[in-house]
Amino acid sequence: MTQSFIRALALAAVLTATSGVSGADRPAAAAPAASGVMASIDPAPGLDGKIQVVKSDVIKLNRDLLVLEEELLFPANTQVALFVSMDVGKLFSLDSVQIKLDDKVVSSYLYTPLEVQALHRGGVQRVYVGNLRAGPHEIVAFFTGQGPHERDYKRGATVKFDKDTDPKYIELQIKDSTGKLQPEFDVKIWQ
Amino acid sequence: MRVRTLVHRPWRRLAAGMALAFACSAGGAAPAAEPGQVIKNPHYGDTLFHFYKGRYFTAVTTLMASQHFDRVSRHADEAEVLRGGLLLSYGLHREAGEIFAQLIEKGAPPSVRDRAWFFLAKIRYQRGFYAQAEEAIARIGDKLPRELEEERSLLQANLLLARADYAGAATLLNGYLADKKDPSFFTRYNLGVALIRSGEIERGSALLDELGRMPADNEEQRTLRDKANVALGFAALQGKRPEAARIVLERVRLRSLQSNKALLGFGWAAASLKEPKKALVPWMELLDRDASDSAVLEARIAVPYAYAELGAYGQALERYNDAIATFERESAGLDESIVAIRAGKLLTGLMERNPGEEMGWFWNIRELPEMPHGGHLAQVFAQHEFQEAFKNYRDLQFLAKNLQDWQDNLGVYGDMLDNRRQAYAKRLPDVRAKAGGIDIEAMRKRRDEVAGELERVVREADHRAFADMRERGLMDRLASVGSALEAADGDASLAPARERARLAAGALTWQLAQQFPARAWEAKKALTAIDANLAEARDRDAALAQAQREEPLRQERFAGRIVELDRRIRGLIPKVAALSREQQGQVQELAVAELERQKERLAIYATQARYAVAQLYDRANLAKKDDDATKQ
Repeated sequence: MTQSFIRALALAAVLTATSGVSGADRPAAAAPAASGVMASIDPAPGLDGKIQVVKSDVIKLNRDLLVLEEELLFPANTQVALFVSMDVGKLFSLDSVQIKLDDKVVSSYLYTPLEVQALHRGGVQRVYVGNLRAGPHEIVAFFTGQGPHERDYKRGATVKFDKDTDPKYIELQIKDSTGKLQPEFDVKIWQ
Repeated sequence: MRVRTLVHRPWRRLAAGMALAFACSAGGAAPAAEPGQVIKNPHYGDTLFHFYKGRYFTAVTTLMASQHFDRVSRHADEAEVLRGGLLLSYGLHREAGEIFAQLIEKGAPPSVRDRAWFFLAKIRYQRGFYAQAEEAIARIGDKLPRELEEERSLLQANLLLARADYAGAATLLNGYLADKKDPSFFTRYNLGVALIRSGEIERGSALLDELGRMPADNEEQRTLRDKANVALGFAALQGKRPEAARIVLERVRLRSLQSNKALLGFGWAAASLKEPKKALVPWMELLDRDASDSAVLEARIAVPYAYAELGAYGQALERYNDAIATFERESAGLDESIVAIRAGKLLTGLMERNPGEEMGWFWNIRELPEMPHGGHLAQVFAQHEFQEAFKNYRDLQFLAKNLQDWQDNLGVYGDMLDNRRQAYAKRLPDVRAKAGGIDIEAMRKRRDEVAGELERVVREADHRAFADMRERGLMDRLASVGSALEAADGDASLAPARERARLAAGALTWQLAQQFPARAWEAKKALTAIDANLAEARDRDAALAQAQREEPLRQERFAGRIVELDRRIRGLIPKVAALSREQQGQVQELAVAELERQKERLAIYATQARYAVAQLYDRANLAKKDDDATKQ
């Protein structure tokens, strides 16, 4: 008797650990009929629902704050944004980038492995945003890392451009040139 | 009897576990970029960069800001799918649902539409709208990304399980498994469960058995493998197949989440085979482990049970008494833990030891807090409900900090705007003075005079009007020579001079006449340039006047926005704080409830131990009486 009782308890303990369905996974008592594409899916009532509402409010507030921040600090007519992107990246392992705008260092960035991976997967990093007067300007970017055969590698890319009254977006691209078996550093000015 | 009632529970629990497995695997599947996707707007790439870095809050908020500025228009649909997925991951089902519904209604391309239907199905499933979820999943075409296919099968299988169509779920997963070269552990596990629930116990068990023997690449797979083996082992014990139970339980790792249960079951398998000595081996091992684990606690009374079976009643009695003392100590420890939890130490400790940068659904408890009797909490943390509740609490803490940071920033922006206003007010008089010194109207009058004169010169073909300085000098000299010659009118000796003067005047006139068209054209060109310069000056003047009118208004609008946003922040801060407190209470009570359950379990163990002690005393008394009777 003792044995079977103890075993039952043990089994219950084991099985408890294999369960754990969240509230969201539990079947509802009754599901309302769908109307149109969007069935009536309102926030769950109670504390969880209130938290969802607040999360939504804070996300929208953050958007409005970011918009204000950008309009206030980097008005469209003077704004310039610099981006870094990387394609396959087999011929170059990025460590850091330094960017000079009109001979003044505006950004020095050291990459983590996760960030390099994010770039490989198609992410484009906005590495700098600032203001420029209308007229001619020059960007010089230095990329450091490891090139083919794990050799230390440092290369520069230069671009001259004219700033007008529209925002200027400039992308510094790191590409693999399979023909030359060397990394290539290119600059793209977005229109 | 109780054992029999639990016979069906392994599979019911396993089915629940399957839903959890789905939730775990699907929880973070926000739709990312398609492989090989070309970035057509750098700001969309920037969102992806944050997304791939795991900074989901930054990703969604910067994406929304970029959408506001209309700079992700070349990825409009993709951006919406990503936004919907990110909002869904934060539990914002309504917003996410609206986004996906709009994408479908506006007739997005099939690849986008399929993902939208998929995520709508997921939302509906999570909210318990099963029929609608099935309807949505049926609308998915053949353009769903490969990485979502497995999740779709799991979702569909869960929907079938939800309406008790176990055979349908098994068929679905079986078909999926047959098509796929290397299905995930989750899919195999879920298929095994579905088969068992559909009545195909043999096939389901065989599949779990196969899973239980498979090499695993990571901890998640190893844990799932252990889980399958433990479930199979206990099912075999229930089916009175202790030998089979031993075989599968032996596969469980000695140090893992499932190892204590496996050791306990392994002991019971030996005990069932009437091998109490062998049963003692795993149970004695358990005695050296953390006493807060339920399997370890049970081993405390399993060991004396084995001694009693071996006839070592003295040792059994001693062990039972030890067990009772341990249970009482653990119960007191649980009381201390409950007090500490209610004092807020659990959440403070968890937050300190598990920092995170942002609000995120991939976040998990990695480090246990330093608390007395912290081992009790391992089972608390294993609960999905507790994890979700704690995530919400942590999210609220992040939101509180986010709001505080923005409030500080807004203060700085407000100061900056004030400085700009002051600088503007200070510079305005100078600018106005400079602008006032330039009389554009007078310039325009002068230009009109010049234009009138030019028109006369051209009309009258007044060649001399375009004479340059040298030519004018020559003209003056010729005039003075002419005057001198006129004064000496009777002097015949001057006839050659008069002839030379006449020739020179003729040559000059000829030269001026020759150059007249070119000079007239140059003059008109210069007049056009003057017109352009005048227009530019007028534009600049107008722009300056406009700036003088509008800049204060612009600054005023910025100030108004800052005030409004500050008001929203101030409104949200107390809300977040109140919800944090409420959520803290809920998280703590979840933990306390689990500890209370542990206390109840301890009380049952203690009762069992006392009952066994009484039985041993009875047995000893009976033996003594028999002994006495024999002696008499």
